[in-house]
Amino acid sequence: MSAINNTKSFHLISSQKISFTFDGKKYTGFKGDTVASALLRNNIKLIGRSFKYHRPRGIYTCGIEEPNALIQILSEHSEPNTRATVKRIYEGMVIVSQNRWPSLKMDIGSINNLLSPIFSAGFYYKTFMGPKGFWKKVYEPIIRRTAGLGKPPKDFRSKSVHHYHNVDIVIVGGGLNGLIAAKKLINTDYDVLLIEQDSFLGGVLNNSKKIKDIDGQENVEWLKNTEDLIRKSKNIKILKDTLVTTYNFKDHLIAIEDKAVESAPTSYKSELALHKIRTKHTILANGHIERFISFRNNDLPGVMLASSFEKYIHRYGVVPDSNPIIFTNNSSTFSLLKSLVDLGCKPLAYIDYRNNSSIEKNILDFLKNNNIQTYTSSEIEGCDGTNILKEVSIRDDKKNIIKIKTSMLCVSGGINPDVHLFTQSKGLIKWDSKYLTFKPDKPFQNTITLGSASGNFNYQSLNEEVNDKLSFLKGAKEIKIKLNLNTADDLNIREIWETKHEKETLWSKSFIDLQNDVTTKDLSQAVSEGFDRIEHLKRFTTNSMGTDQGKISSINSLGIVSKILNKNISDVGTTIYRPPYSPLSFSAIAGRNTYEFYDPKRKTAIHSWHIKNNAVFEDVGQWKRPWYFKLNQSETMHQAVQRESRQLRETAGILDGSTLGKIEVKGKDALEFMNLMYTNAFTKMKPMTSRYVLMLGEDGMVKDDGIVSKINDQHFIATTTTGGAPKVLGDMEEYAQTEWPHLKVYMNSITEQFSTFNISGPKSRAIMRKVFSEVDFSNEKFPFMTFNTFNYLDTKVRIMRASFTGELGYEIYVPPKYALELWEKIFRNGKNLGLIPYGTETMHLLRAEKGYVVVGQDTDGTVTPVDLNLNWMIGKKKKDFIGKRSLSRSDTSKKNRKQLVGIIPIDKNKNIEEGQHIVEIKSLPSNIKEPIEYLGHITSSYHSPALKHCIAMALVKGGNQLMGKKIFVSKSNSSETVESEIVNPVFLDPNNRRLLS
Amino acid sequence: MFLINCPYCGERDQSEFSNGGEAHVKRPENPDSISDKEWAEYVFVRSNPKGIFYERWVHSHGCRKWFNAVRNTSTDEILKIYKLDEKPPSLDEFKHTLQTPSGEPELGSGNFTVKK
Amino acid sequence: MKKKYSIFNIIKNTLSKNENWQKMWRSPEPKKSYEVIIVGGGGHGLGTAYYLAKEHGIKNIAVIEKGWLGSGNTGRNTTIIRSNYLWNESAFLYDHSLKIWENLSSELNYNVMFSQRGVMNLAHNEHDIKEMRRRISANRLNGLDSRWIDTNEIKKLVPIMNTDNLRYPVLGAAFQPRGGVARHDAVAWGFAMRADEMGVDIIQNCEVKKIKTENGKVLGVETSKGFINSEKVGVVASGHTSVLAATAGIRLPLQSRPLQALVSEPIKPVINTVVMSNAVHAYVSQSDKGELVIGAGTDGYNSFTQRGGYDVIEETVRAIVELYPIFGKMKMLRQWGGIVDICPDASPIISKCDVKGLYFNCGWGTGGFKATPGSANVFAHTIANDKPHKINAAFSLDRFVTGRLVDEHGAAAVAH
Repeated sequence: MSAINNTKSFHLISSQKISFTFDGKKYTGFKGDTVASALLRNNIKLIGRSFKYHRPRGIYTCGIEEPNALIQILSEHSEPNTRATVKRIYEGMVIVSQNRWPSLKMDIGSINNLLSPIFSAGFYYKTFMGPKGFWKKVYEPIIRRTAGLGKPPKDFRSKSVHHYHNVDIVIVGGGLNGLIAAKKLINTDYDVLLIEQDSFLGGVLNNSKKIKDIDGQENVEWLKNTEDLIRKSKNIKILKDTLVTTYNFKDHLIAIEDKAVESAPTSYKSELALHKIRTKHTILANGHIERFISFRNNDLPGVMLASSFEKYIHRYGVVPDSNPIIFTNNSSTFSLLKSLVDLGCKPLAYIDYRNNSSIEKNILDFLKNNNIQTYTSSEIEGCDGTNILKEVSIRDDKKNIIKIKTSMLCVSGGINPDVHLFTQSKGLIKWDSKYLTFKPDKPFQNTITLGSASGNFNYQSLNEEVNDKLSFLKGAKEIKIKLNLNTADDLNIREIWETKHEKETLWSKSFIDLQNDVTTKDLSQAVSEGFDRIEHLKRFTTNSMGTDQGKISSINSLGIVSKILNKNISDVGTTIYRPPYSPLSFSAIAGRNTYEFYDPKRKTAIHSWHIKNNAVFEDVGQWKRPWYFKLNQSETMHQAVQRESRQLRETAGILDGSTLGKIEVKGKDALEFMNLMYTNAFTKMKPMTSRYVLMLGEDGMVKDDGIVSKINDQHFIATTTTGGAPKVLGDMEEYAQTEWPHLKVYMNSITEQFSTFNISGPKSRAIMRKVFSEVDFSNEKFPFMTFNTFNYLDTKVRIMRASFTGELGYEIYVPPKYALELWEKIFRNGKNLGLIPYGTETMHLLRAEKGYVVVGQDTDGTVTPVDLNLNWMIGKKKKDFIGKRSLSRSDTSKKNRKQLVGIIPIDKNKNIEEGQHIVEIKSLPSNIKEPIEYLGHITSSYHSPALKHCIAMALVKGGNQLMGKKIFVSKSNSSETVESEIVNPVFLDPNNRRLLS
Repeated sequence: MFLINCPYCGERDQSEFSNGGEAHVKRPENPDSISDKEWAEYVFVRSNPKGIFYERWVHSHGCRKWFNAVRNTSTDEILKIYKLDEKPPSLDEFKHTLQTPSGEPELGSGNFTVKK
Repeated sequence: MKKKYSIFNIIKNTLSKNENWQKMWRSPEPKKSYEVIIVGGGGHGLGTAYYLAKEHGIKNIAVIEKGWLGSGNTGRNTTIIRSNYLWNESAFLYDHSLKIWENLSSELNYNVMFSQRGVMNLAHNEHDIKEMRRRISANRLNGLDSRWIDTNEIKKLVPIMNTDNLRYPVLGAAFQPRGGVARHDAVAWGFAMRADEMGVDIIQNCEVKKIKTENGKVLGVETSKGFINSEKVGVVASGHTSVLAATAGIRLPLQSRPLQALVSEPIKPVINTVVMSNAVHAYVSQSDKGELVIGAGTDGYNSFTQRGGYDVIEETVRAIVELYPIFGKMKMLRQWGGIVDICPDASPIISKCDVKGLYFNCGWGTGGFKATPGSANVFAHTIANDKPHKINAAFSLDRFVTGRLVDEHGAAAVAH
């Protein structure tokens, strides 16, 4: 018996034909079809293979809850694991089935089904343990290859975007309840967002014939009128094709909108939009999900949930099979019966687990009047067929087995309120023993549940429920809706979770998790092994861990387990529902905050000049800093750095130091504050002078360094390292506001207010004189570590005499607007004097020759100022500063801590590598088994062009006592070492002649 | 991502703020006069209660102002926000929000789904 | 071992319809008193009981768990195992653990699926390179298999990685081939089963409400099932350790923070190595089931809600999408949080304290899973002998007083 079109469905009115390809074969569907509805229309029922046993699987549902019908879309960068029941077709769409080889009908992997009896719960834990090495090389690769569902997708660059909403009320679900709620809120003062996952509002009104008419209007007409009313209101916005996936704390919702429904991907349109919504109240009107029943081979293609079958008829205009069999334990399938009979499709049989006396009279009358074969107090024992359902076995009220040939079986095992979002919000759910399901109980956030989502399955009481639960909203009118129903008055259900196999074989299976191939036997075995907690059971059997998160089956597994344990279901509890409600695209989560917008690139005002002059950049935090400048294309980094260093010491060089942090500190108590923040003493420091400074953490370890310039006791300017700038400002603010609020002091970042140039080298004074002709740069008038402010064009520049290279040097602070112009001016003036630009690597080399430390390279958060021989920077007379107390603890004050020393190779042609360690043995074993003791490690190492050999700095245990000691430095790629000597770390100009020249 | 009502700017997303740990921990006035152990207590040890927590926040992506909050760490609910110079509210004010001796509330911790 | 697992045993059980499996552990009611009580039924706690029974001959032990076995961070982590830590103390501790991992499946006769597929830490800037080269050199001297790999080798190991066309290009990586992943639940279950066989009482759904002390000595624990007496109590309760310690008047330098993780939908094998990146905060491996297991970051505030901020998830996913262009078409299946207890120096505390008979194993922060068997092993030694094993001597509480921290933050600051 084959599928037929229901031409009465609104879906098929004026709809056009669309062709697409499935597993290489072309099919035709209608515009608006999902892949599933189109395939059903073409009588295709076998869609894919299961996860573990590679069993044939078909279409089980008509929506987001689908466990089986997952496909790969080749025409969309090979997107795997897409639900055929949700994804809409478009012209030229190319899809393939998953987890099968070589073909869907003939799958080698189905050998697993033959072996399935031994793949019982916990199989992997109990075997594959030997021989050694086999897990990695043999077993695991095979297991990984057979698992995994879809194939990996292809490279994809998303155009997804994010939208933000800040509203008063979100209504999740544009079905009947959502619409009644929205209607109630029309033209109130509340900002309302109504979110519907389908392209149409209406839910049950489109998906079934449960409601005959509403307010005396046809469903379609009422929907149109209601949607018009909502659209015309000033306060309600409708989002369609949008699914709420996540309910975070403080009523923060994440929803995903499909912007490319029914269309092929384009190169210019965003395919998804992720909505981040903050609301004051969340109304969950997101309905319910039907659950299945476990019986033998309940996974065969052709078995489908009853309400899904009904939805295909009305929502998509396809009757998947003209004469199916219906199996139910409740009254909800009445409307399916009616729908089928209306279309002239008589069900082959109706099997109801309830006994005659508890089945509604109108259902029994209907069955009788239409002459439908009816079995009450009966159940489906199992199904048979290869690759597709051929025959069902019914166990009737006398326990006889009756076999009927059919190609489709519609199953309803009851209805669950869709509590996923409610539990995500941390609301508590409660067992309802009348409807045999969990329903929302206590909300944790501002959550209201309506209709079947709240566990109310009585359509006639919806109106009252909405009025009642939303009565607290100001200005919301009383709503009156009149429904004419096609259903039983209320949901009437009899408990059944699984049916017994007539003949038990090793291969007979009733599934509890279709996607992960978990059987009811696996559950009982797990319980017998002691996994009697539901979360254990989940992890041991992988029950409900598939991409559908057990939406149609997880309550069933609780039912089965509660029977085994002889407990109430509410005592068994549920597993925690984890967000998202349905798998959420990584691209959508990332939105535009990736690729070119991953992180800002901070560039200095001179950046364009650097590019023109062949700078090679390095990332320092978010900053792009010139690392070195290439003289020509063939120059290597080593050559460039050697050249820059040599020339700077001969003539002059200029560095763009704009990235260094700059903080201005002002206030009546600025002096006292600075004395507390830094190790240095600022009290006796003369105005208009500068000092090299250290900042510690309270643990006494060096955290940052820089130069502090004192304008007067109420005004300081501090520089920080590039990366340390935000932290230093943050720490200053923290101490000023929280520890010392009595100090009148204020601080601000001025990093971006000034570009900074460091000119140094013997010719720097001459160059400065040419650029700033009115300034006296003589040693007497402008000594080392002093500064002043000078007029420049119509602005001011601050010039400080300071140096990190050991040469005569100046730092210029200029507003960025004037920076490039000044930089170029300096070059015009310095050209004949041999001025060159230099980068951070040269700066690092030159400072190492002088033994200056770089915080973060020569320190690692475990180094005190004393370890760095910077005792002179500690204001010993100061009563307190941050970290001072920690310096006198037993470990921080001990003698043989790691201390900063210099290291030079004995053989001057040899090179020392950074990061290598200092040992006392000449050569290391080629394969080190037992730990080898080391004295310390190399923090910095460079080839010094001035000394013509390698110089290095190291942190060495008790290093200060080891001057002149011969040691060995390990090499990264050899068991040889470099024989070296511990020396003073100041390699060049120890008397500062160059610096002070 | 809960909301924090900055006393200077109003209600903003938590991601705009940085947490400064326990509030009302006074930096010792004379560090040299206390023992290593007492100093270690100040530098490294902070209360870490499950339940009522007096803590500090700074509106780091906003006004850069520090302030105090009382938050239930077992649900993340903010119970009170007050400025640095305001008197801390009494613990008794929040005692009723604590559910069990270990602070595990019935609702909102994320550790239960089913009502007992 | 009473329960022997093998393929033959599975077939035998199959033929008897899987109805004759034995319970992996009993569910006893607590006795009045025990020689040792372990608070916390995660991998570390169950392992501690296992080693106390196996190596120290103490059998009269209770493991008390508030929820179900492995319900805390054991079942919530991203299962990464490695030992390439910078400082000797850490390297010895974590490698002690790694060595146990290598034989754990056969020792427990329970497959913990330790998959030594290698762990790489990506370098994204010069500072990362310097830090990693130093760490590799230290690792080598400590006998660890840690080496530097360049982008060519990275591409060979992980062809789907985008190494150059991104904001912070991949410049190389520190690689430890012996590192890998394991099946986290199996570790807890395996230890529980074998500890139970040796007589350890595993008591689930029992909450310790107070650690009772008198005159500086432990008396036992007050629980939801009544008072249980013991002169030795070991607390291994991760995020909740400081809450329990406080009931005995002990203040620990710990802060409890949410740490989040997520998995994708399953796909066929595509990434065969564990890849970690600190700079762009994205840890990825692929489970045997085919899911990408992704570690996100911690939130910056104390919380016991097992629920972090959504912004943390977004932060990680955008790095994933940039590093692996094919993952743009992948979907997040589940996200969750755990509560980790973070120490000021990012190293654990495995230590005695001022109260006699009270021991703590905590402060593992974001990286405790890898240490499970090693931590359990040395903690058992510490409890049995009332003094630390030489491997955990450095991880004492008094390091915060002397200043002798084991600072694994390393050179966290980006400078110059």
